[in-house]
Amino acid sequence: MTARIYLDNAATTPPDPRVIEAAQPFLTRVWGNPSSLHQEGREAREAVDVARRQVAELIGARREEIVFTGSGTEADNMAIQGVALAAGDRPCHVVVSAIEHPAVLECCRALEQRGVAVELLPVNAEGIVDPADLERSLRPETRLVSVMAANNVLGTLQPVAELAGIARRRGVLFHTDAVQAAGKTPINVQSQQIDLLSLSAHKLHGPKGIGALYVRDGVKLPPLVPGGGQEGGRRSGTENVAAIVAFGRAAEIARLEMASEAARLVRIRDFIIDSLSQAIDNSYLIGHRFRRLPGHICLGFEGMEGEAIKLLLALDEAGVAVSSGSACSSNHAGQPSHVLQAIGFNPIKARGSLRITLGRFNTMAEAERLMEVLPPIVRSLRPMHGMMRHDKRTSAAV
Amino acid sequence: MVTSNVELPGLNCGLCGFRTCEEFRSQLASSPESVRRCIHLSENRIQQDAPAAQPTLAVQAESCSTGCGSCSGGQTIARPQMKGQLPWKDSLGRDFDFYLEHFPEEPGPREIIIPHNPIITRELDVQVGDILIGRPLGMSCGCPITHCGVATQVDMRTGVIVWCVTGPLGPRAKGFKDLGYYIAEGYEGLVKNTRSELRVGMRYYFQPHMCMLQWRHSGLLNYLNRTGDQWQVRLEGLWIG
Repeated sequence: MTARIYLDNAATTPPDPRVIEAAQPFLTRVWGNPSSLHQEGREAREAVDVARRQVAELIGARREEIVFTGSGTEADNMAIQGVALAAGDRPCHVVVSAIEHPAVLECCRALEQRGVAVELLPVNAEGIVDPADLERSLRPETRLVSVMAANNVLGTLQPVAELAGIARRRGVLFHTDAVQAAGKTPINVQSQQIDLLSLSAHKLHGPKGIGALYVRDGVKLPPLVPGGGQEGGRRSGTENVAAIVAFGRAAEIARLEMASEAARLVRIRDFIIDSLSQAIDNSYLIGHRFRRLPGHICLGFEGMEGEAIKLLLALDEAGVAVSSGSACSSNHAGQPSHVLQAIGFNPIKARGSLRITLGRFNTMAEAERLMEVLPPIVRSLRPMHGMMRHDKRTSAAV
Repeated sequence: MVTSNVELPGLNCGLCGFRTCEEFRSQLASSPESVRRCIHLSENRIQQDAPAAQPTLAVQAESCSTGCGSCSGGQTIARPQMKGQLPWKDSLGRDFDFYLEHFPEEPGPREIIIPHNPIITRELDVQVGDILIGRPLGMSCGCPITHCGVATQVDMRTGVIVWCVTGPLGPRAKGFKDLGYYIAEGYEGLVKNTRSELRVGMRYYFQPHMCMLQWRHSGLLNYLNRTGDQWQVRLEGLWIG
């Protein structure tokens, strides 16, 4: 039986054995509460502090500027809601890109119900925000700009430093959801002038259920979860020590191996992109050719957008896990992808794309295997289109 | 023209596909155009210079005669020919009783549908000839694929629509009205190939010939009329599988 090939690393990543090894003692031997003053507590506290430093180093922050959360979504909410809450009764205007993750967009929609003015920044055909658009959108009452560092659907990287610089010059806080980008591209919150930044461990071969928010020293952010005052009073609740330790180790590995790993993934990514363009003549790459995450490929198949779900299922049956990268699933079929619509796809086209995302444990041999499996599957969907082209027959879905 | 003398950022980020900027510089000496691979040099300039994501079209709308009547061609559909031994198995290897073909004079398979909220028919002012899209959610009949079609009959009182399902080129070229979710209430079509005796009142497994997924469906046969060497049928109470 052929081993399965996991190519959906933007959804989640397999835990690195080194991460599991680091966390193991904190599920068995070291079980103290980090807030306790005795030895068991101090041991746990020390481990949390080490992990906090490891996470901080990944993004060029200081240890005290990291707040552990339960997820990247919680970090996004803490940043955006926190800024709005800090505004109190004063007018509040928030600017976000149109292709943000729902963790940001839904949070903003909730804020709109409470009177916050939210403005969506457009993106170009490759999913990139024009800094001039941000400059124009800012008002005296703008309190926050939030633009994700890398998009989860497209893989496109934003000019974060340029956008954050504009916000800084205008006295506006800048938040970036770096859940997809962290550990894969260099991030330095100091040189890039980022005030708030969201992270998630399970996107970089750590465990689920643990994230973090970087809060630049001096930024006022009221607590969303009041209680015992953990995490500098910003997020109460006894720390998930094992997950935090695992997150720290995952961040450390990602930082140390980033350059060589990125170069390796780019080679595999480009092999797949180049091979696909030769093997499947109606395939097209969505997003920027180079300005994208090292292991991220978002594909469309012209005229077959409605069949993305079948591609996904057929690949799954062939032992390859990918994602539809859009809302073309049973749960969301009524909603075209807001990301694909934002880059100019019509609602039909925005219902289907294929997302192939590579991670640390993928190999070139797996990419070659993908290229053996995928073209015949795409061709098997083609008779209807072949009929259109050659036999003047039509395609239809029944 | 960019040369190998270009000042690289020194980040050694690996995003160009090389582990260090120095390795990348070696590549630039023989392939100066590779400078686009460095996303740090000039974000906006590279953005402008980058090749656009142009689809390589296997099917060009201008040259396509889909027969759906909603794009430039306008020809009627030629029914796929089935030669030799029919497999009588769907794409998941399951048996079925007959193939369901669509009427040759129509642009695609005929379905009787009702939006999940029937008032949508009135609110969208659906008219005969309108191009519609939607997905058949739920037990009737649960297909995960968004469908496109052309309305052929509209009942404003009940919200029921009869449409002919077509490919996506018409909606793409001409626009559409979005039903959201709908219920597929019935199919009407022709049976030319069957391996079971057809009787009104019986439930059958059948394979809609144009189904993208090639999954078998089942439905209750409640209309049967012989026309030449084929049967005209209507099936209701639809399920996939």
